[in-house]
Amino acid sequence: MKNIKHHLQTLMLLSSLAILVVVSCKRELEDLEPAEFPNTPEVFIDGFSAGLNYGAFGGSKVTAFDVDTEVKYRGSASMKFSVPDAGDPQGAYAGGTYYTSVGRDLRGYDALTFWAKASKAATIDVVGFGNDFGESKFLTVLNNVQVNSNWQKFIIPIPDASKLTQERGMFFYSEGPEDGLGYTFWIDEVKFEKLGTLAHPRASILNGENQVSPAETGQQLTIGGLTATFNMPTGVDQSVSAAPGYFSFSSSDTSVATVHEAGVVTVLSSGDAVITARLGDIEATGSLTLSSTGGAVMPQTPAPTPTIGADSVISLFSNAYTNVTVDTWNTRWQFSTAEDFDLQIAGDDVKRYRNLNFVGIEFAAQPINATAMTHFHLDIWTPDPTDLPKAFKVLLVDFGANGIFGGNDDSQHELAFTRPTLVTGQWVSLDIPLSSFTGLTNRAHLAQLVLSGDIPNVYVDNVYFYKAGAVAPPSAPTTAAPTPPVRPAADVISIFSDAYTNVPGTDLNPNWGQATVVSQVQIAGNNTLRYGGLNYQGTQFGSNVDASAMTHLHIDFWTANSTLLNVFLISPGPVETSVSLTVPTNGWTSIDIPLSSFSPVAINNLIQFKFEGNGDIYLDNLYFHKGGGGATEPTTAAPTPTYNAANVISVFSNAYNNIPGTNLNPGWGQATQVSQVQIAGNNTLLYTGLNYQGIELGSNQNLTGMTHLHLNVWTGNSTALNVFLISPGPAEKPYALTVPTSGWATFDIPLTEFTPTVDLSNVFQFKFEGNGKIYLDNILFHN
Amino acid sequence: MSVKELALNHSNTMKYSSFMLFNSLLLIIISSASWGCKDDANAIIDRNYQLVWEDEFNGAAGTAPDAAKWVYDIGIGPGNDGWGNQELQYYTDRPENIALDGQGNLAITARSENFGGRSFTSARIKTQGLFAQAYGRFEARMKMPWGPGIWPAFWMLGENIDLVAWPQCGEIDIMEYRGQQPNLIYGTVHGPGYSGGAAITKSFGFTNDRFDVDFHVFAIEWGVDYLDFFVDDTLYQRIRPEDVPGEWVFDQPFFLILNVAVGGNYVGFPTPQTPFPQTMLVDYVKVYTEVK
Repeated sequence: MKNIKHHLQTLMLLSSLAILVVVSCKRELEDLEPAEFPNTPEVFIDGFSAGLNYGAFGGSKVTAFDVDTEVKYRGSASMKFSVPDAGDPQGAYAGGTYYTSVGRDLRGYDALTFWAKASKAATIDVVGFGNDFGESKFLTVLNNVQVNSNWQKFIIPIPDASKLTQERGMFFYSEGPEDGLGYTFWIDEVKFEKLGTLAHPRASILNGENQVSPAETGQQLTIGGLTATFNMPTGVDQSVSAAPGYFSFSSSDTSVATVHEAGVVTVLSSGDAVITARLGDIEATGSLTLSSTGGAVMPQTPAPTPTIGADSVISLFSNAYTNVTVDTWNTRWQFSTAEDFDLQIAGDDVKRYRNLNFVGIEFAAQPINATAMTHFHLDIWTPDPTDLPKAFKVLLVDFGANGIFGGNDDSQHELAFTRPTLVTGQWVSLDIPLSSFTGLTNRAHLAQLVLSGDIPNVYVDNVYFYKAGAVAPPSAPTTAAPTPPVRPAADVISIFSDAYTNVPGTDLNPNWGQATVVSQVQIAGNNTLRYGGLNYQGTQFGSNVDASAMTHLHIDFWTANSTLLNVFLISPGPVETSVSLTVPTNGWTSIDIPLSSFSPVAINNLIQFKFEGNGDIYLDNLYFHKGGGGATEPTTAAPTPTYNAANVISVFSNAYNNIPGTNLNPGWGQATQVSQVQIAGNNTLLYTGLNYQGIELGSNQNLTGMTHLHLNVWTGNSTALNVFLISPGPAEKPYALTVPTSGWATFDIPLTEFTPTVDLSNVFQFKFEGNGKIYLDNILFHN
Repeated sequence: MSVKELALNHSNTMKYSSFMLFNSLLLIIISSASWGCKDDANAIIDRNYQLVWEDEFNGAAGTAPDAAKWVYDIGIGPGNDGWGNQELQYYTDRPENIALDGQGNLAITARSENFGGRSFTSARIKTQGLFAQAYGRFEARMKMPWGPGIWPAFWMLGENIDLVAWPQCGEIDIMEYRGQQPNLIYGTVHGPGYSGGAAITKSFGFTNDRFDVDFHVFAIEWGVDYLDFFVDDTLYQRIRPEDVPGEWVFDQPFFLILNVAVGGNYVGFPTPQTPFPQTMLVDYVKVYTEVK
């Protein structure tokens, strides 16, 4: 009966065995004469041959193998394999390998042979040798072995026996149910033989095809489709799949591409290289001609930044929006050759597809309801030719209410795009009305996007659904950055500002290899620095800056599309430290960063700025200053007026009685934020974010006895400020105030500036128009 | 008519082989029994021969064999029956089917192609009308093609075939080979009362080699009362007048034939797995007379 060694081993135990073997080999190579390995040909005749072990494959039914003494081809026993039915809880298939702990020298043989029969005509998926539960360097596989209820002899030729000096993988098999049903097959008399009747050895790589592939530096490709073919003693050819270890690979130009013994090709530089292989003395058919472009051909600028408001967008992939969950950007469906990569172009995340024939993009876990959307958008860029009839295709699939593919309620539609829509080497924005996807009858459970076509290299960005008609935010500021306050020269070291004298010789665009496009643009007449498509950008100071007397770095910045912006100060070393700026901005943001935030940068020896991030950035008023000093708010109270109260009609002043009932913040639709703040104990009127602002007097005033309008104004950043008097009609006339102010400014405006438009005998309102943050005090008339 | 009739299957061959074993008087034949080994060293019967006719097939690649030595059989046979054997090929004289290979060999190539109403083409040449001889040593050095349904042969027919018809004219098959058994060749004689499936035949096989891997010499040595069959230096069959159950007709001149048939009664159909094209290479054909 079972007088055989019959082990079911776990993979873990096996791997430790493999390690032991490897270690012993190493010793031999270094210290000892090569050991004699046994050349025992028998694997299983009527039982396990000496040293043979069995291990079942993971996921297989471990009891599938047994020794059968009833059914056998010859002798007293055979190997019986019980293939499970589909759904067998003990394992989905029968499979395992017979291996030895000590290798055998099989160089004297040319084939593994065995006899086999089955309980019914069937096709065994895989039979072979060379599976040692480890590297399996000389794995040899006979696929689709047709068996029936008669004993037949099978021959698995050894692709190159000279390699098998210490092979441990004696025999293995793997077979699943056929049409869902299990069955039984028997194998007997398994042994290595020297047949001498195997002839005409041939070999192939890539299944004998001469393939041509574009390539790029750094790419790795594995040469597959390795076969060895022999003419059997029956005159017919039989092929086996052979592991790369049997082959010797070579590259026609090792400076372009190298190939190592496992058949893995590494592309090193641009140029052409042909990868071929030999099996022993036989030149293998098939080759891989690599045409390497060197580095990847990729867009140099990011895709256009989306302008649709986030409220009107369901985004799958865009830095401009919060993206929904996408299960995968490459489902790796069968026959898909697409490879996907995540990369950044000028700080903007982009999906790259290479060898694209088709790729599935799936978001089935959280399907998208795009019923409220009108369009599907994506930006694509390709370096490949786009001549007709080359097409790029977009397929949207809705899984229906049941949320599963193929559940009778699916709908889908594919659209193809060709020249002139497709262009080589440019970002192409596809804005596709969802109504064009005529077969997509539902879009409440969108779950797949499939990209395909004849363009193997595609960069993809800004994949989103949107609702047309949404208002786009501006892509550039319409107002100038706030003008910095006037400061003594000793209080400021300016790098870029119209308000101060800048450090001479500063290079605003040193070439540090950045992708950023630097320009200076006029915004509302104000010179402004623009970083387009920022990845990073330096500024080289004209001379080393000693800012040790300064306290703050001031920056005005504006961006609608950046999601990341860091500013660095750099001292020699370089020593650099960054501070993160909050982006995108809502209008201009002014920030004064304490220089201590940049520790350990040497503040007394600054050489450079650097900005890192993404998007389009507008910058102004880059300077170091001493802080305090009324940079953004007055630190002192407005000067107290000294007019005789009898000669004054006061609107807003602590020094006089004000017109009662005055409304300082009537609702005229303005954006201005109005507040009253205490400045050095003095009540002060503050307009923040001024566009316009009214004051309705508690009663109509006859100002014919007055001569001047008095105002105290403080603003660090306003660049425009007009004051109006208004009489009913309304009749109004502006007077321009000089801003920004240097500290508190006192204006005494002759009332004749407002006549004759305004009826001074019946003034009932004020109005201020302009911008910025305005502190007002002592609004009064006097004579 | 130069028709060759054979309807011999493998089991018949084996039966006759056994028959020969038990009836042989010569120890040498027993020791070279039908499954002789390549390495067997059999004693060579010592005879002196003088070369009288040869073709070394030297010439430029693609050129036709010497027209002074060979004529062609073209087509599908005079009875439109595949040369009496239901062979499937159409014989041509095109260089695609028969030509010198430029390396000292004649190449007869069977191809899978539609031609003349058939699915295969090949070639067959003979010395009929140009050379024939009775007795002596007849040999060819050849490398076989392979694959199921491929049937090459080096053989002879009695020169009087047009007068007495087959099998009265006699047929000596110095070498026949089936592509599905690349380690076996057969030596056979046909005559009145022992033709077709009843021919006197024996196989010679390698246990660990094949005839399509290297060149081998196939020969007969023919005397007044014997036909000795050789592979290389191994005598594997002797047929004497008392071994044939009818008239011994091997006492008149025979001419030589070389061909590669596809399909037919003897070999069976080629299969989808048969690799095409298939080429038989003939290094030389030589004929000697014995010098006493």
